[in-house]
Amino acid sequence: MKRRKFIKKSLLGGAAITMPFVLPSGRLFASSGNRMADHVVFVAFAGGVRQQESVLQRYLDDSQAYPSAGNIMYNILDGAPPTDKIVYGTTNYVNGDTPIPKMLSQTLQQQGTFFKEVNASVVGHYAGVNTLLTGNYMFTQGLRNKPLTPTIFEYLRRLTGEKATKTWFIGNGIGNSIPLLDYSTHSDYGAQYGANFLAPIVTFGNSGDKHLKNAKVYHPEEELDPMYKMKYFLDNVWYSQGSALPNIGNTEEEKLQIKQFVRDMFQKKDSGSIAFPPISDSGDLQTIGYACEVLKRFKPTLTVIYLSNVDGCHGNFSSYLRSLHRADHGVGHLWDFIQNQVPEMSGNTTMIVAPEHGRNDDPNGIKDANAFYGYDHSDSNSQRIFNMMVGPGIDSNLSIGNENNKVGDIVNIAPTIAEILGFKNDIVNTGLLASNQSFFDLI
Amino acid sequence: MHIFRKFIFLISFLLLFSCNKEEPVYQLNQINSSSYNANKNKLKSTMQYISILYANLFQTALSSNELVEITNCIESIGDKEVAHEIVLSNFMNSQQVLIPSDSLMRSDLNHFIEETYKRFYVRDISEAERKFFIDFFESNPNVSSEMVYMAFALSNEYQFY
Repeated sequence: MKRRKFIKKSLLGGAAITMPFVLPSGRLFASSGNRMADHVVFVAFAGGVRQQESVLQRYLDDSQAYPSAGNIMYNILDGAPPTDKIVYGTTNYVNGDTPIPKMLSQTLQQQGTFFKEVNASVVGHYAGVNTLLTGNYMFTQGLRNKPLTPTIFEYLRRLTGEKATKTWFIGNGIGNSIPLLDYSTHSDYGAQYGANFLAPIVTFGNSGDKHLKNAKVYHPEEELDPMYKMKYFLDNVWYSQGSALPNIGNTEEEKLQIKQFVRDMFQKKDSGSIAFPPISDSGDLQTIGYACEVLKRFKPTLTVIYLSNVDGCHGNFSSYLRSLHRADHGVGHLWDFIQNQVPEMSGNTTMIVAPEHGRNDDPNGIKDANAFYGYDHSDSNSQRIFNMMVGPGIDSNLSIGNENNKVGDIVNIAPTIAEILGFKNDIVNTGLLASNQSFFDLI
Repeated sequence: MHIFRKFIFLISFLLLFSCNKEEPVYQLNQINSSSYNANKNKLKSTMQYISILYANLFQTALSSNELVEITNCIESIGDKEVAHEIVLSNFMNSQQVLIPSDSLMRSDLNHFIEETYKRFYVRDISEAERKFFIDFFESNPNVSSEMVYMAFALSNEYQFY
């Protein structure tokens, strides 16, 4: 009898210890690791960047057979800029003749760890960003479909219990199915763990001015409260027989904060006080400015910023060089803004910068106004990218790999973000990643 | 005698056939009534939602340019509930929006809520729904017709067809 009682108690006790419990956030267990930083900002330096004009600093020397080499990304990379045939800057006398002044006193390369030659097996825009965000190659997935495996936003929210407004995906537009990447269709994850997507140059652009700016401001208690009570009644009746709608799980308070943010941005835009970089003459740079505002307002745990102006390289190489130079300027401004304008994130944020894929070795035959050839993305040169990491606990001034020695893969980025935010073991235990290695494992 | 027989036959004939009582026939009148939830099982696309909502509120069609612009605005914000609310409240700021006045609403709450269900949900109100709204309107005298329209336009049933 005593033995039976003992076994019963042991089983109950054991079950209590081992049984997972579901927290309100939907997570099953506490995250198992320590954070290296409380915030990650990942800049998908996207649109297809050639190693030759970025890491290898060959400017026109390689691409256009014109003997002018140099570094046009001098906030991110060490190296002197080119001195001949300058087309990438702002315009003084002729198009692009004036390089944008350097933002950072120390390059990100000096401040962080730089993987110079990384593999990216997919070379399409949507597939590339999809892989960056999911840590999985989506070989069977086309455009206009949500990711099949969870995004890093969903892992973060489900495995660590983060709120919706702590995860942001900021795109420089709504093309290329980019808005679909805020969450996946995976049955264990999905909308309720998604990120808040924002394409600010659309929201706060001409269309937004016309259709969003004059939104009524309803009183929270006197108007919104009864309005929501009626809506909840209607929704409850509907749920008894109808289908549920995807919902990323912003609480009412968070929704109010987002609406307030939208209102405030229109006002700041009118007063010219958006935190744009010193030069903000492109969609990418405008996006960076609004991303700074999101960081300042919400202090997100994870922010992914998608830039893609360099995609103009297909038919306008000069424009590609300008976009590359501006993306570097934007990244410099972003890092400077985090360190100096957002005290809660200063010294407590890791920034990762990586392209979604590269570009071809050979030109496509399309000449621009400077008689420069354009480049597509389809050959093995397009599978070459870099990865830069800077932040607390990350080795400074460390470069790994070279043109003849690839180290790392694009699928290592998702576990790297998880490791920085202290849930790498949890994400690995899901068994859903293509690689369990982070970039830290490759140092 | 012969005449008498004829008379008897005539009386018998009348008795047999003239008093045949017709049986009543009961029938049901046809009433047009849409089913509960009206078999809506398809989610409206953003474009469908906006064009239907606009036509509903303004009683006129939205231009194709504006439809694309508004759709882009909604696509640019991830939380669709938030995006819809901002677009809808922008509509409500227009002078052209056609909403019954609050005094008209309060003058006949039953009629107002019946018509609102038909206008937004294309179905009849159930008695349970009627009771909720009438009680709600009576206990919340400051609820306006605009707030009711906002609630219906943002509700999940309105997203389906």
